[in-house]
Amino acid sequence: MTPTTGMPHGGATSRRTFLRAAGALGGVVVLSAAAGAPLAAAAGARTRVYVLVTDGCRPDEVTGDLTPNLYALRRAGTWYPNARSLPVMETIPNHVMMMTGVRPDRSGVPANAVFDRLEGAVRDLDRDTDLRFPTVIERLNAAGYRTGTVLSKKYLYGIFGTRATYRWEPSPLVPVTNHAPDAFTTDALISMVDRVDPDLVFTNLGDIDRVGHADPTGSTTLEVARTAALASTDQQVGRFVQHLKNTGRWETSVLVVLADHSMDWSVPTRVVSLASALDADPLLSGRVQIAQNGGADLLYWTGADADRAAAVTRMREVVGAVAGVLSTHLPADLRLGPEAGDVVAYCKAGWRFSDPAVWSNPIPGNHGHPVTEPIPFFLAGGSRRVAFGAVRTDEAHTVDVGPTVGELFALPAPSGGYDGTSRL
Amino acid sequence: MIERRNFLAGSAAAAGALGAVGVLARPATAASTTSAGAGAGTASPFRHGIASGDPLPDAVVLWTRVTPTADSLPGSGAGPRVAVGWQVATDPGFRQVVARGSTVTGPERDHTVKVDAKGLAPGTPYYYRFTFDRTTSPVGRTRTAPAPTSSPDRLRFALVSCSNWEAGYFSAYRHLAARGDLDAVLHLGDYVYEYGTGQYAYGRPNTVVRPHEPPHEMLSLADYRQRHAQYKTDPDLRALHAAVPWITTWDDHETANDAWSGGAENHQPDEGDWATRKAVARTAYDEWMPVRLSGTSALGDGVQVYRHLQFGRLADLTMLDLRSYRSQQVATTDLGAAGDSARTITGVAQMQFLKDRLADNDAVWKLVGNPVMVSPVLFPPLDQYVAGPIADMTGVLPPDGVAYNVDQWDGYTADRRELVDFLADQGVTNTVFLTGDIHSAWACELPVDPGTYPLSRTVGVELVATSVTSNNLDDLTGSPPRTTSLAVEDAIKAGNRHVKYLDFDSHGYSVLTITPEETQMDWYVTSDRADQAATSTWSTGWCVAAGSSKLTAARGAAR
Repeated sequence: MTPTTGMPHGGATSRRTFLRAAGALGGVVVLSAAAGAPLAAAAGARTRVYVLVTDGCRPDEVTGDLTPNLYALRRAGTWYPNARSLPVMETIPNHVMMMTGVRPDRSGVPANAVFDRLEGAVRDLDRDTDLRFPTVIERLNAAGYRTGTVLSKKYLYGIFGTRATYRWEPSPLVPVTNHAPDAFTTDALISMVDRVDPDLVFTNLGDIDRVGHADPTGSTTLEVARTAALASTDQQVGRFVQHLKNTGRWETSVLVVLADHSMDWSVPTRVVSLASALDADPLLSGRVQIAQNGGADLLYWTGADADRAAAVTRMREVVGAVAGVLSTHLPADLRLGPEAGDVVAYCKAGWRFSDPAVWSNPIPGNHGHPVTEPIPFFLAGGSRRVAFGAVRTDEAHTVDVGPTVGELFALPAPSGGYDGTSRL
Repeated sequence: MIERRNFLAGSAAAAGALGAVGVLARPATAASTTSAGAGAGTASPFRHGIASGDPLPDAVVLWTRVTPTADSLPGSGAGPRVAVGWQVATDPGFRQVVARGSTVTGPERDHTVKVDAKGLAPGTPYYYRFTFDRTTSPVGRTRTAPAPTSSPDRLRFALVSCSNWEAGYFSAYRHLAARGDLDAVLHLGDYVYEYGTGQYAYGRPNTVVRPHEPPHEMLSLADYRQRHAQYKTDPDLRALHAAVPWITTWDDHETANDAWSGGAENHQPDEGDWATRKAVARTAYDEWMPVRLSGTSALGDGVQVYRHLQFGRLADLTMLDLRSYRSQQVATTDLGAAGDSARTITGVAQMQFLKDRLADNDAVWKLVGNPVMVSPVLFPPLDQYVAGPIADMTGVLPPDGVAYNVDQWDGYTADRRELVDFLADQGVTNTVFLTGDIHSAWACELPVDPGTYPLSRTVGVELVATSVTSNNLDDLTGSPPRTTSLAVEDAIKAGNRHVKYLDFDSHGYSVLTITPEETQMDWYVTSDRADQAATSTWSTGWCVAAGSSKLTAARGAAR
């Protein structure tokens, strides 16, 4: 490990420390640390918590054959077979729900992509200032704990920014998908645990999800690639668990393993494009912006405020009549804040949105719509805080991770309380 | 179900005339046996037994029928109005009575008694009994449903269907009554059969194991009452009613074969007005079954049998009525109409009710008591030797083979598409259809698109219980069990890869074991239906793990 100091990064100006460690793959893992953070592991017995997100994994994909390590962890731990992602079933909002314990109308992060009215453009919510609610990461830091983020996707690294005591910037990034392969992410996770051993590490493994997004060639190839990704990610999880056992950490570890959303597959003939339908309407034409989120479209009225109520009614009529659209909702009904615009449209299972044109979204794997709500969700680890071999019937959600982590560290609830429930 | 016209044609050819059918030399009534506390001899005022049903967390329906005078016979309209007392206790000695009451019955309700015992504790075993004229009924056992927010470790339901008196003895009920580990019995329809004696009995010779009362096809209210009463004299049926609460729905034979909203295959113009017949069948069902129609145990206040019951956070059960609101079956010469979106098997209101229940509940398992099969089944071209008997069994398959059994959801594909799409679109998980009707045992996955299965997403599974006694394939081909049917089963499975298990030959019952992590159905096969002491053997089991909508073969019966 070679500490270096003072190098600004990513446009941020705060002083940080950089740690370099050798990864198992032969590369160098670079971690950054908050200024003044200790550069060595704390001593003493304590609970270590690892939130492990198998991005885009479906609950039916956790099987003894396909994912033996995840399956074994689930069997030995506390399984919630009735678990679901929350609107919008996309990566960024659900990771934010995990770390805040509150719904998007309180965090300010309802989707991956929104129409930013101030900037007049559709953009990803990938800036640390987009997240307005205190995360358990910051609250743990304030309580004297040390935290880490090992997030495989560039935009997740962006929104969680420098909140954690220790951060890994995903590298190397795969072109197009903008994520680091799970082998590298797991290297970084292991290095972080070895070198600085945080109390909480929040990790996203992006391969399973990214296979769905990256391969537009068709279902047969996709099936093979998906299976390979599941097996590979499972191996990485197994490697991490083995490392915890080898280094004597397992007995004090709690793993919260879940997906942020699941995955749906569509064919090129089942594509919904709302732009043309909206443009064909005299009231709406040229006055609606669309932020596309896979199986969900967020619609923003950009006309006069006085016409907003009529426009919302019209948008729901027009959009609801388009083939492949499942339903329309007011953002407030889904507990999405004003950032989500005026109308949320979901597509049916097996369909995808593609706006502004039908060729804009060529990828077959999508999420964001209700079919992608079911997720795997279980607690594992050698800590006595985990009930072994238990199966719970409660409906668990991504937003429950925050309060679960909070309870593990006896952290007081945030101002206004959690929207989720501890699943210990 | 049975296609009576096809069947009669075949049996007439075989036997020469209906009058030639045989009657086994066995007593027609069997009220002398006592088991599981259900004993009530022919002289007892409680000779039709006792029953409980539709368990809620705080209430359960209690049922009996009294015979206060010798002339107060079922369907007679005779006899006095009398008071009947009831008690619910936490102990079999009734030292801790927690609910009691008295109710009046009389000939206006065929001397049946049905009360909703309320104020009970959730997830609790209870004992109940009735009193009349210083006589006490046998003691029954029942159990309330778990509290809505509770999380039971396990539920265990029996699944039965298609119990035809003339085809044999109800040994399945006896074996179930002896288990002692059931939370409820689900009867998925065809609890009684409408036929006159000899019209539909045991196997290809059409042997009447025990004759129906009345001997003619039931048409009038008196007929339906007498037939229900006769079934309630079966000692095995009484034992199971006394031992476990039942949750029932009707299929067609509680009224007439292949019933639809406006008629039935087995309802002819000279048999009177269909609406009247349907109404009296419903009246007798309401009187004689421990069920809440339209949400109450009262009579005459509605005939809605589709309903919802909850078993904590572990399971949610929606019982369907697929006869009262359905469009007429399509003609076999017009199978293309099966997909007509104007046709329905559920009716609009029931479809909405079902969808609301499936989406708007947080139970792990969403169970659907589904009288007829929902899984798509493409019948392959079949040998004439078996095609005819399958036509008899399914009722609508012409002997020369055809794509679909249009009395099932296969004949109402727009409704099925709506339901399957709903399950997929809303991401509803862990839906299990529990089915009867078809006199055979099936385990199927329910794909969104059967044509691309197994690549297609599956939205649930279907587990089909075989008949208690009603004829199935080997009975109709006259082959030994598990011989000629095997090739048919293989052909159907080959053409329908989502069908994982199929047994066209066996009779018996199923046991469904539900835990938070998986649901397993076990099929038990009973020996000869004509043997009053038929044995029972575990045949197979299939599991679905939570979250998977995929079936796997079990290694043994669920513990």
